Amino acid sequence: MLTKIVSKNFEIPLSHTLDVALKNGRYSSLRSAFEKEPQELIDIIKESGLRGKGGGGAPTGNKFQIVSDWEGTKYLVVNADESEPGTFKDRQILLYDPHLLIEGIIATCYAIGSNCSYIYVRGEYEEFSDVLQAAIDEAYERKLLGSEAEYIVDITIHRGAGAYICGEKSALLESLEGNRGHPRLKPHSPEPEFYFGEPTLVNNVETIASVPFIVQNGAGAYRAYGTEKSPGTLLFAISGNINKPGVYEAEFGVSMLDYIEKLGGGVKNAKKLKAVIPGGASTPILPAHMLKDARLDYENLRTLGSSLGTGGMIILDEDASMVKALKNLLRFYHHESCGQCTPCREGSSWSDKILDRFIEKKAKAADLDLLKSLSKSMNGKTICVFAPAVSGVIDGFLKHFEEEFLECIK
Amino acid sequence: MKVIINDTPIECKEGELLIDVMLANAINIPHFCYHKDLGADGNCRMCMVEIKGQKRPQIACDTFVKDMLEVSTLSENIREVKRSILELELLNHPVDCPICDQAGECKLQDYYMDFGLYDSHLNTPKTKKGKNIDLGSNVILDQERCVLCTRCTRFTSNITKTGELGIIGRGDSARVGVAPGHELNNPYAMNVVELCPVGALTSKEFRFKQRVWFLDSTKSICHGCSRGCNIHIDYNETKYSPEKVHRFRARRNSKINQSFLCDYGRLSYRELNESFSSNVSDIKELEELLKEDKKVALISPSMSLQQLKFVKDFCQNRSIELFSTAYIDENFADEWLRTNDKSSNFAGVKKLGINSCEDEFFNSLKSAEVVLNFNHKYLKENKIETKRVVQFTTTDVDIGYELVFAIANFAHESGTVINCDGIRQDFYATKYRDNTPRLIELLEELK
Amino acid sequence: MSFSFNSENTMKMDLLKKRYPQNRALILPLLWLAQKQESYIREDAIKYISELIDIPYMHIYSVATFYTMFRLQKPQKRVVEVCRTLSCELNGSQRIKKHLDDNYAQDCEIIEVECMGACSGAPMCTIDGRYVENLTPEILDKVLNVN
Repeated sequence: MLTKIVSKNFEIPLSHTLDVALKNGRYSSLRSAFEKEPQELIDIIKESGLRGKGGGGAPTGNKFQIVSDWEGTKYLVVNADESEPGTFKDRQILLYDPHLLIEGIIATCYAIGSNCSYIYVRGEYEEFSDVLQAAIDEAYERKLLGSEAEYIVDITIHRGAGAYICGEKSALLESLEGNRGHPRLKPHSPEPEFYFGEPTLVNNVETIASVPFIVQNGAGAYRAYGTEKSPGTLLFAISGNINKPGVYEAEFGVSMLDYIEKLGGGVKNAKKLKAVIPGGASTPILPAHMLKDARLDYENLRTLGSSLGTGGMIILDEDASMVKALKNLLRFYHHESCGQCTPCREGSSWSDKILDRFIEKKAKAADLDLLKSLSKSMNGKTICVFAPAVSGVIDGFLKHFEEEFLECIK
Repeated sequence: MKVIINDTPIECKEGELLIDVMLANAINIPHFCYHKDLGADGNCRMCMVEIKGQKRPQIACDTFVKDMLEVSTLSENIREVKRSILELELLNHPVDCPICDQAGECKLQDYYMDFGLYDSHLNTPKTKKGKNIDLGSNVILDQERCVLCTRCTRFTSNITKTGELGIIGRGDSARVGVAPGHELNNPYAMNVVELCPVGALTSKEFRFKQRVWFLDSTKSICHGCSRGCNIHIDYNETKYSPEKVHRFRARRNSKINQSFLCDYGRLSYRELNESFSSNVSDIKELEELLKEDKKVALISPSMSLQQLKFVKDFCQNRSIELFSTAYIDENFADEWLRTNDKSSNFAGVKKLGINSCEDEFFNSLKSAEVVLNFNHKYLKENKIETKRVVQFTTTDVDIGYELVFAIANFAHESGTVINCDGIRQDFYATKYRDNTPRLIELLEELK
Repeated sequence: MSFSFNSENTMKMDLLKKRYPQNRALILPLLWLAQKQESYIREDAIKYISELIDIPYMHIYSVATFYTMFRLQKPQKRVVEVCRTLSCELNGSQRIKKHLDDNYAQDCEIIEVECMGACSGAPMCTIDGRYVENLTPEILDKVLNVN
């Protein structure tokens, strides 16, 4: 079940150093890339069906195309702001195979016509961004990057400073421009993102790290894994009440329960599985009884009323309190709301305070209705998808575990 | 092209924002963060409308008109959306209405009465923030009343470019303020009080003085400099206080001052409450002096065209040499509204051909026997020895004079002034009682 | 003494200037350099940065208060940040917090933070920014007492 495309070199000692990386295939895809025209590379990415691995799952090839076609100085921004609870996959790439990321950046920059790339790393990942910086320095020294490289690419690490919302791509660009991380209004027609007014491609670390394999081996080789609509692999992560928490790459479409058993080692202390949050905290929770045929791809989880998100599974066992779990998540959202638009700022704070009444077992029946109507007010009325995510989380918990909330009502 | 709003076709042009079209056609569209001169920020979410064919409601301030776009602000769905967003705006609001100056012109009150009218569901403690914070420049901040529409921060960042105001913190502890140890300090600072749709930013000058529903209003022009910014004079005849005019508010003029006033001009309302307080002379006494030979008159360049014309004719008939010299202050001018000419109608003086040469005035003054001053600053502040001086004044004068007549200030005049760009503008008198005669009325008694 | 970047940081700043299209983008990196140099962001550091890149003081102050990792007060003790989000809570983060509160409140400033991306090492904390994962009270004692 374990498939090693992006995580191929993770277990190799000193895989983050350039010499070891080179010995294990790093930068070999660039030969193939530079022999093709940039548009050919974009076509290969489109054909491969590569989808964004930052939680959205949007077709990557189309994003490459829009930026490539737009007039202006192109930028590539790699989103390493990984702050979604339950997600810790990009960290593995930064720590164990940073040269894979650098290789992907060079190939992507060549494809879209950019010479300048920023990697936005969350501020807390200081140790890991130091490893990444060392790898970048090595690449500059070896003239893989910089003005004397075969294709000029400059990479700058830009550290965040503790804001989950900066993982949202327009908020990330605001932060990169030196502002507060406030997401921008969404355009009405297809447009690239803009950095200081110039067309910019924003992609997740793992998405860019998947580019070398596709460029080297072709779209078909990537499509050989996964499903028709969700081709390829993902660095799924598993944590919570599980025996072997960690990041295990697998192809899309594997059975979730199999993954939990075989790769996760099963629920800790032989407890029964109660619920799974499939793709990081912002995806609706799914009770165990719904997971019999659940498969880890975008389409299947949508039919179950949830979504794949970043593929970071959080396992909750029979002893876990759903009320406490929801309170934990709402407290997270309350802390992380940027505060720009009213429904999110007030709604995320109010829902957190209402949950306190449930925790203290002092809730009234009206509070449950209030949560439901608050969830409706936050959905589809805001600038970015933070508030709809909160709404989805609340709805998920109330839909499947209402009894536990009713028990808290006096 | 046409758009259809609430089943009514409305004419509009390509490139217009839906919210502008709605406001221009007096369609009720609630909004906080949108302002004609600041643009949209899209953060309040109050202007949501239902657009046919779109799954989610859209904000009108970020939607451009398209031909045959169908828009609804009255459907059941969108009413519930507006109500729920208003509820969230008001959630942590301290409801200070009984002591808040904004009451009566507060958007939160207006929208609540329009489509709120719900019972509060709040049963958790409200968020507490700073209150009654003196920001400097006559502006007081109350962070709890603020809806974070960012109009004030955008004003100081983008318009005055002084950047004193900003948002501190994040999420529901986000609040507007100045950096510690700093203050709001620019010549246009008080505009944020008018921009603020709620009672978060209020004027220290106006604090606790009047309830706005007692104020009457008249359209006027600021006489502080030659820009001629358009204003409303807000007044109320307060029974036991000499203050009748309580504030100036900006009147929107897209060609001159948009929605803004400079603080100097805004605070110049205070002059309208001054008047001459001692005994006045009898106008018949002036006849005696007018029999003298050498007579010089100086008239304020802030008089209206009508006053200037009347006095010019009067002086011609009585052989009085008339001058009107400019109020120039180079330090006052800036790159926006303020000009170096601190009078409101010097262009009118030039247009009527009244002599404005300073040297010639001083020359004539030397050989004059009688000097008439029609409210000109120079002769109100500088005593002229050895001349027989007659003052026609709107305020107290304490230098020597032989005759003095009180005249009404521009709060009680209607007239026309020409601004620095040659634009003619009319201003209108307030209607509160005042026994001070108007200049033209007074001079007419001399027939 | 008024704040200014030491020579190493001045060099770093000069190199960074070339990497961004506008000086405004330097705000976050410069705030980080200022915090690293003095262990917190001093008021005169904000003034220094404001004059260096010609951006109003309030803007930089506003940005500094938006991000939770920027400290505007000097830390008096070593800082321990305990993750409190779901995966860590499911694995006993509250027990770790209690252990810290009971035994180390005098020596350490104990802060709760949100998900640090170390869910496979739950429960975890950082000590002066370094990740320490797979915590038990015993491991915590060992690490805190060694340093």
